[in-house]
Amino acid sequence: MVVFIDIITFMSLISLTFIIFMTVLLMLYYLVPEKAQWGVLLVFSLIFYMWAHPLNVVFIAASTVCTWVLMRQPTKIRWIMTLVINLAILVFFRYGVHFGLHDLIIPLGISFYTFMTLGYAHDCYSKKTDSEQNLLHYALFITYFPQITEGPIGTYRDMKERLITYHPFDLNNIKYGGYRIIKGLFKKLVIAGRLTYYVDTVFSSVSSYNGLTLIIAVFFYAVELYADFSGYMDIACGISQLLGIKLTENFMRPYFSRNIQEYWRRWHISLNEWFKEHLMLPAVTSNWNRSVSKVMYRIFPKAKKGTIRTIFPLIIVWIVTGIWHGAEAVYLCWGVYFAIVMLISFTTMNFFKNLKPKIGWNDKNIFIIIFQTVRTFVIVLLGEVMFRAHTMGDAFTVYKKIFTDTRINTASVSASLVPFGNGNQALASVILLIVFIGGLFTVELLKEIRTDAFTKHRYLYALIMLVCMALFGVMGQSNFMYQQF
Amino acid sequence: MKKIIITLTTALLITASLVICKNVFSCRIPIGNRGIKNAIDSGDLDVLFIGSSTFRSNLDIGILDKRFDGRDYILAYGGNQLAAVPVEYDEIAARSDNKYGIMVFELDPLMLTEDVKLSDSRIIFDLSWQGKLALWDQLARSQNTGFSVFWEYFVTSGFDDLATYPLTEPFYATRYEKGAKNEDTPSSGRDFLENEKFDISDAAINPVQEDAARLLIRKCRERGQRFVFLESPHYYRLSDDPVYKKYLEYYIGLLDEEGAGYILASDIDFDNKNPDFFEDMGHMSQKGRSAFTEKLIERLQ
Repeated sequence: MVVFIDIITFMSLISLTFIIFMTVLLMLYYLVPEKAQWGVLLVFSLIFYMWAHPLNVVFIAASTVCTWVLMRQPTKIRWIMTLVINLAILVFFRYGVHFGLHDLIIPLGISFYTFMTLGYAHDCYSKKTDSEQNLLHYALFITYFPQITEGPIGTYRDMKERLITYHPFDLNNIKYGGYRIIKGLFKKLVIAGRLTYYVDTVFSSVSSYNGLTLIIAVFFYAVELYADFSGYMDIACGISQLLGIKLTENFMRPYFSRNIQEYWRRWHISLNEWFKEHLMLPAVTSNWNRSVSKVMYRIFPKAKKGTIRTIFPLIIVWIVTGIWHGAEAVYLCWGVYFAIVMLISFTTMNFFKNLKPKIGWNDKNIFIIIFQTVRTFVIVLLGEVMFRAHTMGDAFTVYKKIFTDTRINTASVSASLVPFGNGNQALASVILLIVFIGGLFTVELLKEIRTDAFTKHRYLYALIMLVCMALFGVMGQSNFMYQQF
Repeated sequence: MKKIIITLTTALLITASLVICKNVFSCRIPIGNRGIKNAIDSGDLDVLFIGSSTFRSNLDIGILDKRFDGRDYILAYGGNQLAAVPVEYDEIAARSDNKYGIMVFELDPLMLTEDVKLSDSRIIFDLSWQGKLALWDQLARSQNTGFSVFWEYFVTSGFDDLATYPLTEPFYATRYEKGAKNEDTPSSGRDFLENEKFDISDAAINPVQEDAARLLIRKCRERGQRFVFLESPHYYRLSDDPVYKKYLEYYIGLLDEEGAGYILASDIDFDNKNPDFFEDMGHMSQKGRSAFTEKLIERLQ
């Protein structure tokens, strides 16, 4: 019998229910005796997880107990069993729809907690961390509520002490945590929320719009995805900080990256670190890769050995990254696209490094920096088309129209305003979006130039964001984009 | 802790002050060429049309001006609902002593079946505090006005316009002429009109909208205001639809019951099968609105 679990009804981090939940938790968390503090956190994490449906906890409990039992004495066979059990649950739910299980609804955060579980198991097996002997300590790591729905995918060696250690009440945590939550809410409600309507309208019928509208929609989508996902991370990190627990950072101003490799070091950091540590590095050092590399080296004798040994693991990692997001062709193609881009970037790196001094290319020149940043952003945007399109057919329509149907004239500009809905408010929406998106990028740019920017006068920024949220925020949204993964 | 409380309190006070100012004073801000304030500022009028974007698109203000010596105006909001019309009528009456020869209200049978909703947030900008409360009552009668609807209605709605007013108002002013559309809209062509999808099969009478129609008639009678309901032509595919016809008959029955006058699209010699006249099922092209307005004037005389 298939168990139906509705992730849509889960307790959103931007709901009144959650505010009440958090208030009660904070009071108990700081009032209970030292030794009971992590226990309170575990109980509330389970309540949070079970909120949608009590059965929600069955699969996460099965995964947690199996992994904990098997990894108490990690051996190769136990590691493989852990891998198979967890991947089987993940594949069943995430990809069941492709095997005829159409009514199956995915348990909350399954992709995220499965990766945390596998990361722990792999670390135990490869002796990077000691096996946890206390099941409840381990359960807290897996179910810790701020990170369960969208990550970050923390590692046990980083998180254990933070979760178990006693955290006395510290006003600074409330202050900085609160500020971080306000920042996240601002990104979500004022920026992402405003862009959603335009992006959804255009991508629901891409063939109806001209190239200019599609370019705007793709750009808006990139900003929406960033504001939504990084906004969630700010809220999650802020909530965690209220409890005195620091979460792993997941974003580092990715749209200011100067090449694609740097971009993936700054976007969804925890997922990419996970892939690097648990898939890329084991694949690079594996025997099969050595054998394949030897064959490749015979074909390309001038190529560097290190480069050749990285090619196949890189392709595998990117295909798996695509599939992790979903089994649809768009995600697979998105993974392949970035595999190709990364491969080109990786294999030509040395060539360009040698070429630069010969042609007087100065990486510190401001125009070069701007060129590299814009180029990387455009490469990312082209990939995001597949990430957002419903089908590859839609994605190709977008590419075709962007490159063949883009004219800038009064008619095309007027047509590009149509997806804003009511024509009377379209211009106001455009102006406000320019201000808010411009503001977001300006703040990030200044942080990029000087990391200590915006660290003073936080109360003033919080005040401005609160007022903007109240007056310009799009209320009534509770879902975040990465929840679906 | 003190700073946190000061920040939160200040944010609350600033927000509350701005929200109160918007709700109370936005109706006094000069709006060029459209809306309630501009209608009131136009003074005494021979004819005031009150309706939705259909009126805005389907009436040619140039032709009306010639006939009424410029003493005419079209007060229209996107998707303007029957439930909102008595509120708009009250607002005009409460804020001026203007005299109106005749008021022409839109007769759209499908409006009787609409859920009451905030179809055009512009109306929030134009209504006084009392008007906003009256419209909120209508909303509350018809739907579950939860916190997010309340927030949108009283807090966020209208702030986009207010914040961008110096930039957007001059632009909008060029798009309208006494409430009418000022753009030369072309026809969308036969192919589009013959294939445009619409589904009205689930339509059902909304008692709140019906009550609003009766209330409007009563208010006009109480104030001795001459009025007539006008059905604007729709492309034949919609007006020949059995569901549309059913609710048109229902509307006619309601008006007959209340003894109110009306002009039906079928009373006007206008070819609603001509694709050159339409932009979509309900909105006309420039050519269509000119042809229709000429015929309408003959009928009004």
